[in-house]
Amino acid sequence: METVGQQLIITAIPALPALVFVVLVLFGRLLKENAQYVAILGVTISLVFSVFALLFVAGIVPGGGEPIEFSKPWINLGDGGVFSMGVLIDGLAAVMLVVVCFVSLMIQLYSGAFMEGDKRFAWFYAILNLFTASMLGLVLAPNFIQLYFFWELVGVCSYLLVGHWFEKPSARDAAQKAFLVTRIGDAALFIGIIIFWSTTGSVAFEDISQAAQAGFIGGSVFTAAVVLVFIGAVGKSAQFPLHVWLPDAMEGPTPVSALIHAATMVAAGVYLVARTYDIFVQSPTAMLVVAYIGGFTALMAGTMALVKKDIKRVIAYSTVSQLGYMMLGLGIGSYTAGVFHLYNHAFFKALLFLCAGSIIYAMDSYNMFEMGGLRRRMPITFWAMVLAGLSLSGIFPFAGFWSKDAIVASAYEEHLYVLFAMALLTVFLTAFYIFRAIFVAFTGEPRTEAARNATESPGIMTGPMLILAFLSVVSGWVGIPESFGLPIRDYFAEFVVPSEFATQTLGLEDQAFSFWLGGLSVLVALLGIGVAYALYVQRPERSGALARRFAPVHTFLDNGWYFDALYGATFVRAARWLGRATNGFDRNVLGGLVGGVGRGAMRTGGLLQRLQSGGVQNYALFILAAVLVIGVIVGAQYAVMVVGLIALATIAAFAVGVRL
Amino acid sequence: MPQMPSQAQQVLDALLASPALEAYLVVGAIMFAIGAWGALVRRNAVVIFMCVELMINGVNLTLVAFADFLPNAGGLGASYAVLVIAIAAAEIAVGLAIVLAVFRSRRTVNVDEVTSMRG
Repeated sequence: METVGQQLIITAIPALPALVFVVLVLFGRLLKENAQYVAILGVTISLVFSVFALLFVAGIVPGGGEPIEFSKPWINLGDGGVFSMGVLIDGLAAVMLVVVCFVSLMIQLYSGAFMEGDKRFAWFYAILNLFTASMLGLVLAPNFIQLYFFWELVGVCSYLLVGHWFEKPSARDAAQKAFLVTRIGDAALFIGIIIFWSTTGSVAFEDISQAAQAGFIGGSVFTAAVVLVFIGAVGKSAQFPLHVWLPDAMEGPTPVSALIHAATMVAAGVYLVARTYDIFVQSPTAMLVVAYIGGFTALMAGTMALVKKDIKRVIAYSTVSQLGYMMLGLGIGSYTAGVFHLYNHAFFKALLFLCAGSIIYAMDSYNMFEMGGLRRRMPITFWAMVLAGLSLSGIFPFAGFWSKDAIVASAYEEHLYVLFAMALLTVFLTAFYIFRAIFVAFTGEPRTEAARNATESPGIMTGPMLILAFLSVVSGWVGIPESFGLPIRDYFAEFVVPSEFATQTLGLEDQAFSFWLGGLSVLVALLGIGVAYALYVQRPERSGALARRFAPVHTFLDNGWYFDALYGATFVRAARWLGRATNGFDRNVLGGLVGGVGRGAMRTGGLLQRLQSGGVQNYALFILAAVLVIGVIVGAQYAVMVVGLIALATIAAFAVGVRL
Repeated sequence: MPQMPSQAQQVLDALLASPALEAYLVVGAIMFAIGAWGALVRRNAVVIFMCVELMINGVNLTLVAFADFLPNAGGLGASYAVLVIAIAAAEIAVGLAIVLAVFRSRRTVNVDEVTSMRG
C-alpha cells in the first residue's frame, strides 16, 4: 500500500464506526432516535471503503492485486521489541471486511424500527458500532496482540448488548454467562500467545509461522500453543465444550443476535483459525482436534435444536452447528470451503434472525407453538425465512449448498468417514429443525390471539430482509466449482486461498466437484424437510406422540444434553465453594485480625476510661506520681528522690485508702 | 554581757545562729508534703485551695533559702518567689471564683460530688 491516502482509507474502515461510537456516547441523549442516521452513515462509508479494499486486493483497482500490509509501532518494549498496530488485508480479510460491514449495515437499518421506543436507543446504536469497529479491527490485525485487543473488545460489546435489557434478571445472567464462558477461551488464547511470543520473540502471524518452520518452536510445546489458541476460538465460536453461552445469549435484542451470529463475535473464532492457518497446518494434532471438535459440535448442536420451542434458540443452536461445520472444514484442510461457509452463513443466518425478530416484533413471543398460520399474515417474512432455511439446509442451488457441500465432500474425499457421517447426519438434522420451525410458525392455524392479529413488519425491517434473502440465494454463486460445468469462474476459490506453504504442508489435491456426493447431501436435506413436513404439517399430533414416546431423549435434548446442569454441578459449584471459602477467610481471618486490633484498642480504652473519674484530686495524684517517676528516671542516682517517691507512695496510699 | 557557762553559750549560739540550709529545705519539704497530702485527701474545695497555698509557700521558702545561701545567683530565687506569690494570688482569685460558681449551681463544695467529667 503506497500512498498515505490509501492507508487512511483502510484505517477509516474500523475507525469510522469507532468514531460513531464516541459521538453517540457523547451526544446520544440529544440525538435520541436520530442516532440511527449517524450510525448508518458511518457504517455505509466503512462498507464503501471495504469494497474498495476488496477490489484493490482483488486487483480490479489499478495498482492493486497484492495484499495490503502496513503497520506502525504501538507499544515499545525497549529490548523486548515492539508490538505494532497494523493492517493486513489479504483475500480472507477483505471478504470478512465486506461481510461485517454489510451485515452490520443491514442490521442497523433493521434495528431502527425494531428498537423504536427503547429507553437506551442511542446507547444501543453506540455499542452496535463499537462492536462493528472491534470486529473490523480484529479482521485487519496482522499480529496476535492487536487481534487479542480487539478480541476482548468484541467480548465486552457482546456482554453489553446481550445484557441490553438488563432490567430482566435472565438477560443479566445471560450476559454474564456469555462473558465468563468466553473468558475461559480468552485466557487460553492469551497463554498461547505468550508461549508463541516467548519462544519466537514475535507476535506477528507471519513471523510465528516462519519461526515454526525454521524449528524455533516445535514438538509438544508448539502443539500445546496451537491448541490453546484454538481453545480461544472454541470459546468465541461457541464450540463444544464452551458452547453453552450462545443459546442463552438469545436474551439480547434480536438484531444483536443477528449481528453476533452472522458477522461479529462467533465469526471471530473461525476467522482466528483461518487467519493463523499457516501456524495450524504445522501441527497435525491440532488440525485433528479442530476437525473433530468441529464435527462433533455440528452434530451435537443439531440434535439440541431439534426439540427447542423457542424459535430464536433453534436458530442459535443452528449457529453453533454451522460454526462446527466451518471448524470441520478448516480442520480437514479445506480452507476455502470453511471460509466460504463463514461468508455464506453470515447472510442467511442474519436473515434467519431478522425473520425471527420480525415475528417477535409482530406478536411479542418467542415460542413458535404460540405462532402458527403466519404465512398469510406475514408473507414477506415467510418467504424470506423459507429462502434462508433452504440456504441453511444446503439445497441446490442456494448459497449454503455450495459451501456446505464442499465441506461434506472433502471430509469424504479425505477418507475421514466418521467426520463425513457426522456432517451428513447434521445435514439431515439441520434441514429438519429449521423447517420444523418454519412449518410450526407459519403454517396451519393460528394458535393464539396474537398470531391471529399479527401484521407484516414495516418496510425498514423487510427491506434489509429482502436484500439478505437475495444474497442468501446468490452469495454462493461466486464460488461455484469450475468442475461443476457452468461457464462461471470460481472467484472465491481464486481469491481466498491458503498460502502455498499451507497447501504444500497439507499435501491436498484439488478435488473435482463430485455430483454423487452433492446429490446425496441434497437428498439428505430434502429428506429432513420431508420428515419435518410429515411430522408438523400433515399430522401435527404425530410429533407430540413421538416426543411422549421418547420422553427421556426429548428431555435430554431439550436440556441441551444437560451441559448446563453438568457445569453447574462441577465448575459453578466449585467456584461458589471457592468464593465462599475466600469470603470466609476474608471475614474470619483478615476481618478478625483488623477487627481484633480495633476491639483491643477499644477494650484498652475502656480500661483506661475508669481512670478518668472526673475527680480533680485523682488527676492531681497522677500529676504528682508522674513528676516523681520522671524525677526518678532522670535522677535515679539521687537517693533523696527515691525517698520522695516512697513518701508520695505513702501519701497516695493514704489518699486512695481514704477515698475508698 | 555576763559570762555564761560555755554549754549554755553553745546552745544559745546554736539558737541565735542562722540555721543551716538543710533546715530551711526540710521545713519547705514538710510544708509541701502536708500541702500535697491535704490537696489529695480533703473533700472541701476551699481547704484544698488552702493546701495548694501551703504547697506553694513550701516551694517559696525553698526558693528564698537558696537565694540566701547561693550569693552567686544574685537574688534570682527571691525575685522568683515574688513572681510565684503574684501568680498564687491570681490563681486564688480565679479558683475561689470557680468554687463560688460551683457552690451556686450545686449547693456544695465537696469535690467528690463534682464529677461531671467522669469518662
